[in-house]
Amino acid sequence: MTQRPHDPSAATEHPRESWKNDEAALLTMLEELEKRHGYIPHQISDEVGRVLEVRLERLRRIQTKLESSVRRDVQTQVARWKAEEGNLIMILHAIQNQHGYVPREVAMELSRELSVKLARIYEVITFYHYFKLQPPGKHNVTVCNGTACYLKGAGGLLAEIRNHLGVGEGQTTPDREFHVEVVRCIGCCGMSPAMVCDGKTHGRLKPTDVSGILAQMKTPAAAPAAAKEVHA
Amino acid sequence: MKSLTPADLLPITPQPVPPAEWVRVQLDTGGIAAGAESTLEELRAAVRELRPGLAVLPVGSHGRSFADPVVEIRSRGMPDTLYGRVTPEIAPELLTAHVRGHRMLDDHVLASTERGREVNGPVSHLLVLDTGAGEGKTAFFQFSFIEELKRRGLADQVQVVRALDIGIHDEGVVVQLLPGAVTYTNVLAPDVARIVEESIIQRRVLDDLLWKQPDPQVRIVLRNCGVIDPEELSDYLAQAQGYQALRRALVEMTPEQVIAEMKVSGLRGRGGAGFPTWKKWDLTRVQKTDQRYVICNADEGDPGAFMDRSVLESDPHTVLEGMIIAAYAIGSSMGYFYIRAEYPKAVARVERAIQQAREAGLLGKNILGTDFCFDAKIRLGAGAFVCGEETALIASIEGKRGSPSPRPPYPSVRGLWGKPTSINNVETFANVPAILLRGGAWYASHGVEGSRGTKVFAVTGKVNHAQLVEVPMGTTLRQIVFDVCGGVQDGREIKAVQTGGPSGGVIPDSQLDTPVAYETLQQLGSIMGSGGMIVMDATDSIVDVAKFYLKFCVDESCGKCAPCRIGGYQMSQILDRISRGRGTPDDIPTLRRICLAMQKASLCGLGQTAPNPVLATLRYFENEYLDHVKDHSCKALECSALVSVKLDQAKCIKCKLCIKNCPVGAVSADFVIDNAKCTRCNSCIEVCPKKAIARAPKSEE
Ligand SMILES: Cc1cc2nc3c(=O)[nH]c(=O)nc-3n(C[C@H](O)[C@H](O)[C@H](O)COP(=O)(O)O)c2cc1C
Ligand code: SF4
Ligand code: FES
Repeated sequence: MTQRPHDPSAATEHPRESWKNDEAALLTMLEELEKRHGYIPHQISDEVGRVLEVRLERLRRIQTKLESSVRRDVQTQVARWKAEEGNLIMILHAIQNQHGYVPREVAMELSRELSVKLARIYEVITFYHYFKLQPPGKHNVTVCNGTACYLKGAGGLLAEIRNHLGVGEGQTTPDREFHVEVVRCIGCCGMSPAMVCDGKTHGRLKPTDVSGILAQMKTPAAAPAAAKEVHA
Repeated sequence: MKSLTPADLLPITPQPVPPAEWVRVQLDTGGIAAGAESTLEELRAAVRELRPGLAVLPVGSHGRSFADPVVEIRSRGMPDTLYGRVTPEIAPELLTAHVRGHRMLDDHVLASTERGREVNGPVSHLLVLDTGAGEGKTAFFQFSFIEELKRRGLADQVQVVRALDIGIHDEGVVVQLLPGAVTYTNVLAPDVARIVEESIIQRRVLDDLLWKQPDPQVRIVLRNCGVIDPEELSDYLAQAQGYQALRRALVEMTPEQVIAEMKVSGLRGRGGAGFPTWKKWDLTRVQKTDQRYVICNADEGDPGAFMDRSVLESDPHTVLEGMIIAAYAIGSSMGYFYIRAEYPKAVARVERAIQQAREAGLLGKNILGTDFCFDAKIRLGAGAFVCGEETALIASIEGKRGSPSPRPPYPSVRGLWGKPTSINNVETFANVPAILLRGGAWYASHGVEGSRGTKVFAVTGKVNHAQLVEVPMGTTLRQIVFDVCGGVQDGREIKAVQTGGPSGGVIPDSQLDTPVAYETLQQLGSIMGSGGMIVMDATDSIVDVAKFYLKFCVDESCGKCAPCRIGGYQMSQILDRISRGRGTPDDIPTLRRICLAMQKASLCGLGQTAPNPVLATLRYFENEYLDHVKDHSCKALECSALVSVKLDQAKCIKCKLCIKNCPVGAVSADFVIDNAKCTRCNSCIEVCPKKAIARAPKSEE
């Protein structure tokens, strides 16, 4: 895993605390134990087993709930568009609006409801840039790289974002905190270069503005002050 | 709202009188991004305390994006005033000063583009702005006028205000007298006393200073933008002769007559290719079929262009009215708006317009009590540029991948669901009601032979005032960029103007006096396109720009046919190599060959036009390519691999700002830049207070 300069807490967190929720941490812990003792003590493996059992049960319950709610949602959308020819794209828009992306189980459910092959649904989803197959991050940074913004230094903004977050176009930080997206023209060419951070548009940016904006996104308390950013 | 009848629309004079005093806040995507919604809230709150009768109205955008958020005020005792950069913070202050104090706020007034010829009343405000390059003398002249007015005892009758923009550029100090908008240019210090004595006291015009040149802009498409509330049908009906053109078409004209009127107007498609609109309608009309469709192409894919978004957001009913008229002319009962999903505000406003029109009987069965029936729906695009191409757009509406299909058959013969379909651009439709109201001949009186009427351009890039501009066809590029938009930023030299987006070309500064029309642009190797116009200055590398557009087309190619899929990729590889300084002189003929193959053999317009930016840049800027391939240098200092960043020790004051701001730690403690580490992000160049750091050609090292 790459370093996460924006999240110092992750590094200091005690591994013992996090393994109950995080597979990666669990594996690291087991590996460490094995290295230290040559084997995994049975008290530990029992404890791990119990925790896993509980988590599995929780997952099962979520799964069933999810399935019925997914089905209901998909059915409503399909009912709304049933009468219209060529409705697939509009239904996908509705799904993406709701979830932020098109989850696989929803696409599968849609395939059943519409009696359309799953492959055909994916054929359409993958053709259009707008549809996403991955969930967005907790914070989303959308950088405009339309011609106006490109000429005025969108590349510099992207480089700066990469410096801070370690990720570039279309990527999400390993901790799923930030997702970076590049789009073409958000219609604010008058204030280029522009980017949208968690729904808020910032314009007339310089690379040096980036760190401040990213910091604000992490501490929403400071957000109201951000309103000035645009008029600079 | 009850269903409207032709009789309801008959009175041409506005029906309900709009409020006599108002504050209009321009709420389009650009304005909202700049904080216009908060400005609106602040103004509403301020009005409640100040003057409850004053209406605060949301409207669309006037087009001056550089000044967002924009607010216009009409109130007693004051000339109508447009203010720019009205942030929520200053909104209450501005309103109080304007409405109560009868004073305008410095540095926010966007002066009227009307040019008055006589002073016909007492002057209450005097706007000043230094439009010359370099250090502004605005404040000095403001001071001089105030002093002079004081001397003449007029200080409390005339307020001297620093303007934000006056619509005139590079004409020295400009002064406008309000009301009446008499405008003087190239005002010098000795003129101050003359203006006060003769124009303010004796109300005489100083002919030697008077600016007589009318504003080159003519607003037909944008006529209602920034004037009416785009969310209220009643506003459109009352203030903009809304749906009168539709009434005229349905009640007084046959479909053939509508098409004939369009023919007289000479309107050609504004979406790119410039096909005569009447002909497209006629071709669709003559097909024998049970069903025809109309489609409004609002998939504005050209990155950096926002005309269609702005029109849909600011005046959706005009576009809808144009579409209904088109449907009547071609005999269609169903229409689709294909709008980019990236334009949520436009989608919402069109949706609302359709809803309101349905309620008012302007859509649906028996429109206006006639036996014409028509309904419209919205379909969303999903971020694929190729879907702007008509056959791909049709495939997308049908719910499929947006792959183009070969033409012929053209959509006017076999279109949506295999039925004859007429596809027109947003701006094309927005022209239609104006043509039917005022006549095709009136429309044709604007513009030049072969290209009639006006065209809206979104001028962006390195231009001083990025904004929408609507000018008659035949206006020169120079007028658009310099006279309307104030020329290039920071007083740099203009290098070229890009028109037509990824399918267009680059027009060098030597050709800027070309009048803009379909044919003239084509002769220059560019196209009119949908109206994106991007200004480039000397610091922009032409090779880099060509690479940018080509990469765009490669990303957007649907991959259906080989010339576009493979040719585009090969070209972008070559350009990439050139911009890294690894190109050879052989690369240039190779580029030309691939261009030709793509133009001739690609299936759809995307592949056929994708080489245009490369060809146009090769045509006018071959030298720059040669610099890259022969000398491995980039004169514009833009191609990162060919430049280094240097710090001038003599200028450096050791403030360490560069060290602090460098994201990769490439500036050492003794202020030397490690060019191997440096990513050329320009952070240090921007923060250096002494301008000691700059890009330099790599060979100098
Ligand atoms: C790759 C490609 C992209 C296009 N994009 C658009 C677009 O975004 N908007 C548009 O109105 N026309 C676009 N067009 C042109 C349309 O195919 C079509 O000519 C136009 O919508 C017809 O309308 P008009 O006759 O009113 O110009 C595009 C064409 C091609 C080949
Ligand atoms: S030219 Fe390009 S975009 Fe057009 S059909 Fe061929 S591959 Fe697709
Ligand atoms: S190009 Fe960036 S907002 Fe239009």
